[in-house]
Amino acid sequence: MAAEARVRVWDGPVRIVHWLIALAVPALWWTGEHDQLDWHRRIGYGVLGLLLFRLIWGFVGGSTARFAGFIRGPRTVAGYASRLFRGEKAAVVGHNPMGGWSVAALLALVLAEVGLGLFAVDVDGLEPGPLSRFVDFDAGRAAAQWHAWVFYAFLAMIGLHLAAIVFYAAVKRDNLVGPMLTGRRTAVEGAAPMAAAPLWRALVAAAVATALAVWIARGLR
Amino acid sequence: MKRISLWISAGLIIAATAGAVAAADMASVIHARQAHYKEIGKATKGLSEALNSPSPQLPAIQAYARQIDQLAPQIPSWFPAGSGPEAGVKTGAKPDIWAKSAEFKAAAAAFTTEAHRLDQVAAAGDLNAVRAEFPALGKACKTCHESFRQKD
Ligand code: HEC
Ligand code: HEM
Ligand code: HEM
Repeated sequence: MAAEARVRVWDGPVRIVHWLIALAVPALWWTGEHDQLDWHRRIGYGVLGLLLFRLIWGFVGGSTARFAGFIRGPRTVAGYASRLFRGEKAAVVGHNPMGGWSVAALLALVLAEVGLGLFAVDVDGLEPGPLSRFVDFDAGRAAAQWHAWVFYAFLAMIGLHLAAIVFYAAVKRDNLVGPMLTGRRTAVEGAAPMAAAPLWRALVAAAVATALAVWIARGLR
Repeated sequence: MKRISLWISAGLIIAATAGAVAAADMASVIHARQAHYKEIGKATKGLSEALNSPSPQLPAIQAYARQIDQLAPQIPSWFPAGSGPEAGVKTGAKPDIWAKSAEFKAAAAAFTTEAHRLDQVAAAGDLNAVRAEFPALGKACKTCHESFRQKD
């Protein structure tokens, strides 16, 4: 068998953001549960920056990073779902129509967690989030409660994320993890490979995301 | 016979009413306690934010520190016997507050000492001294909560 042609599928920024968030979440879990709130906040601000970058990158990044490219209408999703259990590989380089929505859900949950965390106040009032100064103590405590509850929804979604990856590997014989590490996958017939975005855009997006994150982390001042 | 059963029913009604009144009392004791703690929480939140602010307002800091100092010595009186989980009202008060009452009182006393110290330091008007003292107060909240408050 000849070596299969390999094409680019994920650009560097998508991969870096992904693996840093995947590392940060267990750390946030541990520090949140064990009252290490100073580290919890530092790591949380890091995730805030990564998330802001990913949101900007969804509009100006490589073709497979763009929301417009992977958020599909219900008919496309239903069509894809009906063919899901056939052995054939997805005819896309990038997120497939169902995967696109799971990415949107994951990013929305990260956004919700970070957003609630920014307003959360611990019971002792000692480590209030940087935006808690805009709300009273009760609202800050409510944000902390929701921060803890939404985390369970987030965990469930991560579980689904990992189950889907196992499903693709076991049933569809499609290794998704390798490409998320190397940025390349086997070519897909009839599907265009990723069109990369220039480096300067990544640098500008990173600068904007960092500036925004620092401003928010300082309590909008 | 009729008379006796009348007395018995009257007695039962009175006992039930008294019980209900006592339970309602405990509910109001617990709610008042939680409201007091919220006041303390508002004050520490205010202090944390004031100390994080680029332009801390000393009068606000002094008012918060005074409020905590005034509430702290009252803490033991917020926990009459029967105001634990057995009252049937949602409360984070652990039974150990009464089972290990000496330890609980010691935790409350340690907190009162810190609260008084913070108040004095704030009244003296030295912001850096307040910054240095505040973590000790926070530690006193946490120490007591770890042993005596059920996490929600
Ligand atoms: C001596 C022990 C003790 C100390 C010291 C203490 N607490 Fe608490 N705290 C408790 C207990 C017990 C409860 C649970 C009360 C209940 O739910 O009935 C509680 C509950 C609370 C609550 C939740 C009230 C609610 O809405 O249910 C807040 C807020 C709070 N404490 C803030 C503080 C802060 C801030 C400090 C320090 C500045 C502090 N506490 C110091 C024992 C303590
Ligand atoms: C994806 C990002 C985040 C995740 C997954 C996360 C997760 C968690 C978890 C699991 C807890 C423990 C909840 C509990 O059981 O009590 C927690 C607590 C907390 N988090 Fe986060 N967090 C995130 C971001 C943030 C950010 C950005 C901030 C604020 C700067 C923040 C502030 C807090 C605070 C103040 C608490 C303590 C709440 C309390 O004591 O009641 N978090 N977080
Ligand atoms: C713990 C938290 C995790 C979160 C929040 C998360 C989130 C995400 C998100 C948002 C994407 C979309 C990538 C993008 O377009 O930006 C994604 C893709 C992906 N993730 Fe994760 N992830 C997590 C953990 C993991 C882990 C542990 C693995 C590996 C075992 C993994 C493997 C993948 C793969 C293979 C893809 C590409 C899927 C595809 O081909 O469409 N993720 N993840």
